[in-house]
Amino acid sequence: MRSLLLAVLAAYVVAAVHAVLAFINKRRTLLRVSETAMAIGFILHTAALIADWVLYGHYPLFHLRETLSFLAWTLIASYALILYRYRTRALGSFILPLVSVLIFVAIVTRAEPSAEATSMSTTWLFPVHTTLLLFAYAAFFVVFLASIMYLLQERELKLKRFSGIYHRLPSLTTVNEIATSAAAIGVTLLTVGIATGMLWSAARNGPIWQNDPKEIFAALTWSLYILLILYRSSARWRGRRAAWMGVAGFALVLCTFFGARLMGGYHVFG
Amino acid sequence: MSIVLVGVNHKSAPIDVRERLAFSEDACAASLRELVDGELIREGLIVSTCNRVEILTETTTGQFDDSAERVIQFLAHTGQLPRDFFEANLYKHVDDGAVRHLFRVASSLDSMVVGEPQVLGQVRRAYSIALDAGTAGRVLNRLVHHAFRVAKRVRTETGIGANAVSISYMAVELGKKIFDSLNGKTALLVGAGEMAELSARHLVNAGISRVMVANRTGAAAQELAEAFGGDAVSFDRLSDHLAEADVVICSTGAAEYVVTEAMAREALTKRRNRPSFFIDISVPRNIDPAIGKIPNMFVFDIDDLESVISSNIREREREAERAELIVESEIMQFQQALRALDAGPAIATFRQTLQDIARLEMDRRRAQLGSLTPEQERAIEALLLSTVNRISHPVLSNLRRSYDAGDAETIEAWRDLFGLED
Repeated sequence: MRSLLLAVLAAYVVAAVHAVLAFINKRRTLLRVSETAMAIGFILHTAALIADWVLYGHYPLFHLRETLSFLAWTLIASYALILYRYRTRALGSFILPLVSVLIFVAIVTRAEPSAEATSMSTTWLFPVHTTLLLFAYAAFFVVFLASIMYLLQERELKLKRFSGIYHRLPSLTTVNEIATSAAAIGVTLLTVGIATGMLWSAARNGPIWQNDPKEIFAALTWSLYILLILYRSSARWRGRRAAWMGVAGFALVLCTFFGARLMGGYHVFG
Repeated sequence: MSIVLVGVNHKSAPIDVRERLAFSEDACAASLRELVDGELIREGLIVSTCNRVEILTETTTGQFDDSAERVIQFLAHTGQLPRDFFEANLYKHVDDGAVRHLFRVASSLDSMVVGEPQVLGQVRRAYSIALDAGTAGRVLNRLVHHAFRVAKRVRTETGIGANAVSISYMAVELGKKIFDSLNGKTALLVGAGEMAELSARHLVNAGISRVMVANRTGAAAQELAEAFGGDAVSFDRLSDHLAEADVVICSTGAAEYVVTEAMAREALTKRRNRPSFFIDISVPRNIDPAIGKIPNMFVFDIDDLESVISSNIREREREAERAELIVESEIMQFQQALRALDAGPAIATFRQTLQDIARLEMDRRRAQLGSLTPEQERAIEALLLSTVNRISHPVLSNLRRSYDAGDAETIEAWRDLFGLED
């Protein structure tokens, strides 16, 4: 499946380069190339994931290699949704390069034996648990990006000094809306994701709470985003502070995602 | 064919020269008919605006000096001016130079405010006058249409017209940056000055749906509000109306703050934190600058606007550099298009080909003719060449007609028929 993933990487790199150039030069013609390449990449990527599933006999979201590739896939899917809903291209110049890096790392990471993976995937709850959480991570990354865009522009508006980036980013209202709805979607996915994880553990006669680092960070992340949503909904518009929460929340997401690997615990596989 | 452009613009000539050279729209057509004589000057176009007078002509290759001279005489004559009065301010451009100048003018690269969109409309208008006067022919048609294309490319591919460069337009631009769209938004004008009115006009054009006007004298407010289909509101209850306003434009003659920090804070609470922005074009300032520190409220005073505008102008100039590259590449494309219009080289090649065939045949059969005197030899050659010329003459004149009509299909058919290469 390496060659297929290489083709995916090539398509995403083309899309990323064109998106970044379009962002810098404000050239709309480049965006068409970028979006076509992204669409091709996404189709090939979906095919690669399905092929992995069929070939290795387990849901392609277990080892680090698979997780990175799947995460990239969820990011592209989220970006496609944003494009459809808000017609905002600026996020692509940040998401597409990240996706390219994720795919690259996935390619150079060695494949691991998968006996354990197959045993874990016997119930449908486990793949649902991991898929939902990856989509939640992607949503939180979108919150993070939109929050950064909000903060940058709000700062320039307050200082009344506009740099090149100001002219290239979507309006405050748009990034605020993106951050708000992505946070709501992310929290919903995270809640259901955690719940299915607990159910899965219970179904295997394990405790629903293992108290390992990943779970603790996930609980913290969950609380922070719940707080963010409550805070936002308490007034029609919460600009700066909510945006800062969106940035801080993503730091917790990173800890949740990588923390478990560094600190060990129940959630370490492969 | 040669394209010649003679003109003055805001950089080359002061206003007292430009105004004397300018053509009124009514006089333009008659002047064009006078200038274009069908021999030295075959086509003509006059672009006359407050910032420029440009006379574009098409003439026979090699006669551009005579043509420029004719235009100068024409300007002196129509303006009733001595030549010395304006000659030093004139610029003359020939062929590529003239094409470049027209492309730059149409793309607003030569404008006083780079990127302003009006000039393209002015060129369009000048062209339609020339069309009506019958002085725009195949070369100028092509040239002007190409200029429109260049202007469109420059506008869509660069950000040359992107950022506001006037105070009155800044409100629209800030509004779009903050609210994305001004549809459904409300503006409050405090004071009924001219600048406030101009800003409000831009805002209404950009989609703002409600305009409130507060003024110390109710009559002026009423009048301005009616102009925008809005409401005149009481100056004393300003703090109530602040909460409704997404955009506040303030320009009163008051010596103190008309909008205070306390009023703004109260409004923000009533607005449930929805953002709003204040534009203060009055000196002394009427809006407390401390409001700018409140979250979700943005305040721009006259100095802030000026500094943003000068940075926007710099940004436009950077974009203009990219536009110049587009102009250069389009000049090359236009040259190619023009070459296809020029019958001269194609006809010369064709005639040469036929004559070469005649001479070649003569050389091949020469031995069979036995000894000939030089006179006889010349007579045979002349016979062959005149036969070739007599036969090819109608072909060539038809070909020339096809070129003149710009009939590319027929030209292509001729070329195929005689196996001509470019």
